[in-house]
Amino acid sequence: MAAGLKEEKVYEREELASGTDGVAQAVRLADVDVFAAYPIRPYTGVMDRLAKFIADGKFDAEYIIADGEHSQFEIGKHASSVGARSFVGSSGTGWLYAMEALATTATDRLPVVALVGNRALDDPGAFGVEHNDAMLVRDLGWLVVWASTAQEALDTTLVAYRVAEDPSVMMPCAVAMDGGYLTHSEHIIKVPTKEAVSRFLPRYSLGRRVMHPDNPVSIAPQINEDWCMEIRRQNWEAAKRAKQVIYQAYREFNSVFGSKYTNPFFDEYMTSDADTVVIGMGTVSSAAKVAVSRLREKGEKVGFIKLRWFRPFPTEELRKTLSAAKRVTVIDRDFAHGGPDDGGVLYNEVRAALYDSANRPKVVDFIAGLGGREISIEDVTKMVELTSSSTMDEKIHWIGLREGTKGAAVENRRQ
Amino acid sequence: MTQNVAENEARKSGKEGMDVYRVEINYRGIFQKRLGYNISHGIVYAAHSEGKTAFSNGRYSDDPQRNGIPCANFAIVSGSLGEEELEAIASAKMDVDEADVVLVLDDTMAKGLEPWGHYGIRPINQKVVEGGTILFVSRRKPAELAKLMERRPFTYRLAVLPGDRSFAGLWYQRDDNTDIRVLAAVARVAPHIVDMESVVRYIRGKFNDEKRVEAAREAYDSVAVSEVSPDDGMVWPYEKPALPAWQDFDEGMAVKSVKRGFKMGPRGQNRNPDFRRGTSRSQRPVIRFDTCIKCTLCWYDCPDECFDPTTDGLFDVNYEYCTGCGRCAQVCPVDDCIVMVDELKFDSNSSPWEDYTVDPEEYVRRMEEIKGLSREVPSPVTGMGERILERKESVPFKPKGGK
Repeated sequence: MAAGLKEEKVYEREELASGTDGVAQAVRLADVDVFAAYPIRPYTGVMDRLAKFIADGKFDAEYIIADGEHSQFEIGKHASSVGARSFVGSSGTGWLYAMEALATTATDRLPVVALVGNRALDDPGAFGVEHNDAMLVRDLGWLVVWASTAQEALDTTLVAYRVAEDPSVMMPCAVAMDGGYLTHSEHIIKVPTKEAVSRFLPRYSLGRRVMHPDNPVSIAPQINEDWCMEIRRQNWEAAKRAKQVIYQAYREFNSVFGSKYTNPFFDEYMTSDADTVVIGMGTVSSAAKVAVSRLREKGEKVGFIKLRWFRPFPTEELRKTLSAAKRVTVIDRDFAHGGPDDGGVLYNEVRAALYDSANRPKVVDFIAGLGGREISIEDVTKMVELTSSSTMDEKIHWIGLREGTKGAAVENRRQ
Repeated sequence: MTQNVAENEARKSGKEGMDVYRVEINYRGIFQKRLGYNISHGIVYAAHSEGKTAFSNGRYSDDPQRNGIPCANFAIVSGSLGEEELEAIASAKMDVDEADVVLVLDDTMAKGLEPWGHYGIRPINQKVVEGGTILFVSRRKPAELAKLMERRPFTYRLAVLPGDRSFAGLWYQRDDNTDIRVLAAVARVAPHIVDMESVVRYIRGKFNDEKRVEAAREAYDSVAVSEVSPDDGMVWPYEKPALPAWQDFDEGMAVKSVKRGFKMGPRGQNRNPDFRRGTSRSQRPVIRFDTCIKCTLCWYDCPDECFDPTTDGLFDVNYEYCTGCGRCAQVCPVDDCIVMVDELKFDSNSSPWEDYTVDPEEYVRRMEEIKGLSREVPSPVTGMGERILERKESVPFKPKGGK
């Protein structure tokens, strides 16, 4: 830039914001046309903020309150089909109530962006974080990305629109974040200017698929065995193309905002010469990083990977990084009862990625932090230790669980 | 002031050698929610303006909030750590393990907190660290508050900012400067977290109003600080419930419930022993059994079913479960028969009807002495702060009872 020329401001101010505030800011900045809502914590935080933006004249959108999550997500889908940029969101049991709409949004290839504020699945009613809600769309043709700071919540929501609406992708995107720990924790973030965002994010266009009286189309007709497989194949291809679009989107994001997303798919922390690599998603990264740096101070070669994009899964990239290690510690904030080796979801995804590798490290699974239970620095340190000491029969560990010996549950079952 | 700074310097070189400070803000659910957030936000913005790293959060498990239930916000501040390090150490937690400053926006919380079922009744000073400060907004003397709290094995400080329990920020409630007054008090007791200069900068930036700055300075000067030693306070009478291990309860989470049961007299109804809700009360209903006309309205209208019918046709109240909503006092048709009185004036939750039947005249004398002649309007949401009515005299004792 020539001397004397004023550099264009990309951030307008700093403000104290929770994860949901960050998302709401992104929705405002992305100039979303239709915002469909049904209250559930933590999505309510986004609703409150956007209502305030509209009331203050800072945001112009259709704010539609639905009679439940199923209708809410249908509204988002239909709005998207007429060419409106739309936003929806829920968490836990509400997300599940929307499941039919979630599935059809993906098969209709409509680039809705949705917040899923991770929350334990009822029953019993619980509010704390568990990743199973977001993971339920992992096979449906949704892009799934985890944000782990309030700034990332804002950035990621913008990136989500950029990727989802790319003509070569056209898939809905779920922005996941840990309920409570991120959605309700407030940090100082930088809020971009609208001009900078519009330079990054092009207008949404559905092209000739757009439903309009001047362009009559019928969406989602009934089909038989004559069409289904070809349709799935198109979607499969788009999910593969999404990977390159994600790289491109972050390159563009970095160039506009000067951010430092070097690897869009995951952040690496002290992994280069690590014997043991810890991998996890969401806010657990805070505790994991401190645990790793403390172990490094003791001379132990440990590193950490914060996985950001879960769909598409960065198979080759993870294989490359993880196969250089001797051991992998997987933190699963989810459960997958009766799955391969009774491990969690992430554990088996990581193992699958490593299967074709010439060097297959030992992979040990740690199910932790379910229902919002805290994962401490000490917990992560213990995981690293157990990764070394575990035998082949001790692949799965539950951490932070109240262990007893009485076995009343077993006794009662027999009665 | 200089001594204060020296003390704080000493405190800084505390645990882990890191200057990470935690402020816990205890407030009444719903009624003081906005106030609590204004204070935690104010601390973060003020600290940020000093170039410190800071963030805040609310205790996630408090939501959805219920009227009067004790809730908490946190503000975490560090002068030396960056955002990522501070977050790693202090973020992604549901609750703080300890607090350098514990703020209490309603002094009746000194009697204990029960934010959720199976939490047990916890002492308000549970999180305060050695040398830390618990700061009350209160009209009480420090000694009166100190004796209600749990005895701790170390010395800490007790500060009192003169003021009433405020509902400022609730719906249409008038702003009464409680938030900025509390910020100034934090600057007074913990300038290593935020100093007065940055609090003033924050107030000017937000309100551009010198009157508020004056109010803050007045508050700064009016804070009274004293020490609480290991001899002060009480041995905590409530146990923390122990939760079972995963092998030790029925699958499918079918929990034992309270069997329906009723008999006449005090404590006659079966109630949930794991969640008493009494700690959500700022005022308690005081009943003049001698003027009661046995109309049943208090018993009928109580939203928490706290009244127990007695064999003599009266209605005893169970203070362990009463949330102090004031509904009974509102519906009672008899002049001055049920009156809401500051909870801190009482030290027992025992049955008032039993007290009354032992010696009716003595009970009435004692209650009138506690009540005095001032009557706070018994609505929790008055819109204008507390309205006080002065009576000329108390209702005389009726030895033959009400109509």
